[in-house]
Amino acid sequence: MVYFSGLSDALRITFVQMMILSAIAIVIFLYGMIITLQKWGSGATGYALEPQEGKRGSAITFLKTWWKQVTEKSPHGHGKPILEILILDILFQRRILKRSGLRWVMHILIFAGWMTLFALSGLMFSVELTHMIGIELPFTPHMFREWLSIPNYIFGYILLIGVLIAIVRRLFVSEVREASIMYDWVLIGVVFLVTISGFLADGIRTGLIWDFGLDPSLAPPAALFHSVISLLFCIAFIPYSKYIHIIAIPLALLANKGGE
Amino acid sequence: MAKRNPSIDTKNLTAVQLMELDACVRCGECVKWCPTYAASGEKPGLAPRDKILRWRQYMNKSYGLKARLFGPQEIPISELEEFKDDVHGCTTCGICSTVCEAGINTVELWESMRANLVKKGIGPYGKQNMFPKLIGQYRNPYMKDQKDRLAWVPPDVKIEDKADIVYFTGCTAGYNQLALAFATSRVLNKLGIKFAMLGEDEWCCGSALIRTGQAHINNVPYELAKHNVEAIQKKGAKKVLFACAGCFRAAKVDWPRLLGKELPFEVVHVSEFLAGLIKEGKIKWEKSINKTVTYHDPCHLGRHVGVFDAPRYVLSHIPGVKFVEMDRIKEFQRCCGAGGGVKAGLPDLAMAVAESRVKDALDTKADILSSCCPFCKRNLMDGRDSLKVDLVVEDVIELVAEALNLETK
Repeated sequence: MVYFSGLSDALRITFVQMMILSAIAIVIFLYGMIITLQKWGSGATGYALEPQEGKRGSAITFLKTWWKQVTEKSPHGHGKPILEILILDILFQRRILKRSGLRWVMHILIFAGWMTLFALSGLMFSVELTHMIGIELPFTPHMFREWLSIPNYIFGYILLIGVLIAIVRRLFVSEVREASIMYDWVLIGVVFLVTISGFLADGIRTGLIWDFGLDPSLAPPAALFHSVISLLFCIAFIPYSKYIHIIAIPLALLANKGGE
Repeated sequence: MAKRNPSIDTKNLTAVQLMELDACVRCGECVKWCPTYAASGEKPGLAPRDKILRWRQYMNKSYGLKARLFGPQEIPISELEEFKDDVHGCTTCGICSTVCEAGINTVELWESMRANLVKKGIGPYGKQNMFPKLIGQYRNPYMKDQKDRLAWVPPDVKIEDKADIVYFTGCTAGYNQLALAFATSRVLNKLGIKFAMLGEDEWCCGSALIRTGQAHINNVPYELAKHNVEAIQKKGAKKVLFACAGCFRAAKVDWPRLLGKELPFEVVHVSEFLAGLIKEGKIKWEKSINKTVTYHDPCHLGRHVGVFDAPRYVLSHIPGVKFVEMDRIKEFQRCCGAGGGVKAGLPDLAMAVAESRVKDALDTKADILSSCCPFCKRNLMDGRDSLKVDLVVEDVIELVAEALNLETK
């Protein structure tokens, strides 16, 4: 079945409508990030200092303070080179590996899956946009989507396995379960929902594995649902939830020169 | 309706530290390793993860989206008082930072929270509030006369008026743990190392004030650092030796920060200095110790500034020493329990942590538990006495003195 999303065949979502939904998601994300950066920027600009009296937190203050800490020498006399931090701590996440092999596997699967699917979605969107504005490419958006269907599946499964490990761990390891709060549950819940909805939407469309015998006419609403919640939970929701760690941790690692 | 002010402010909390609160993913590694959390019987408030959660909630209630839209939510003073108790139930050992998967600099976060609360009139904890007055007035936390800084010096120890090396005793070794002072001075003399001392011009390093969030009170740590650096410079020193881990850390990390510039001399822990001499073949041992020795890494020497190997090198080169490691060593070592103001403010908690560490040592079946810090030595001895076990607690420098046939009394 040809890919499209919408409430029905008659009510297909157009590209422009999808662009509007995406823009709304991005605006919500940006608003949240501005508030978050301003919240962080309400702090002092250096060790043992006080923020300016009566002045509201500023995102610029945060960025300047962060950059200053990244570039200045560590007062403790130790710290790792930036490139090492970027590759080994941020991409490879060795600080997790040092503590727990299982949690590293779980998180790397989620990280690799999520980031790659995000990038692939971005690529498909770019090709679609290029086509819409009249620039000719040697392939159509449909062809490009089909080329990416296998990587989408592979990284979708990678993400799903990671998410399932996370859920099982949180449900069945008592010390993890007892320490969990809504802040934790919401994140893993929405990631799971987005992942599963993607598999379902594509499964119903193609009739492969994830269709569960459902009517193919449900494919467009399923695709729409997946698109909307992806935009909502994978973009808009970031600053308002535990998702913020995908931004805060790399910044913290760089500021603290890889950590102790 | 009057605009409500946030219940907390962000004094002493840097923008990066506020971000670190959102970087915590609650993995719980810090909780697994925290010595005070374990020794307290797992009191929930002492868990590093939960301290971060609470302060993040305070920040969101005061400066987050809901606060923006509907005004800050009040945080009761009683809740902040409880938080103050919990944030001071920490020795600032730093193991939470070592294991933090997000790379959060937790030690400085706790110190900043303490300072923030002290500025608000909440805290510090218990007797810690005496530090500014004692150290400000007496220049040491023990109410001793500064004139007695060198009262311990025996007639056989030769101290130069000026020298390339200054030996900074520190308040604990200089007034209380005198065996370290005897050992260090005699060892230096024996090795032909000319050194000067500051005498009554040696003021407290200021660590106790900085760790307990009281660095701003009358600017005492700044005055201490400024005075000490000037006094050291007057002695012509190019290198300053420290036998106390706390003073060493203060000089290496805190003094340059307080003064806003690099120190005009090198700061070295005596274990590093001795390791260098051993490598150069300059130490001729005279006596064999013939004991099994295990080593406790002081937090302020090990985790905070990365000196792990030098003391081990020294110990393993002392004749007759059979060196054995405890289970938790180097960056994973268990704190002795004294630091961060805990010995003064929460002595029972300090004792409980010390007992845990002494038990780690007992598991090795060592005869001697050694360390490189008089404050660690004090608390470990207290832990040993509390457990009523047979274990000698001696500093590395004391063992060196013994092996050089020197008295430490």
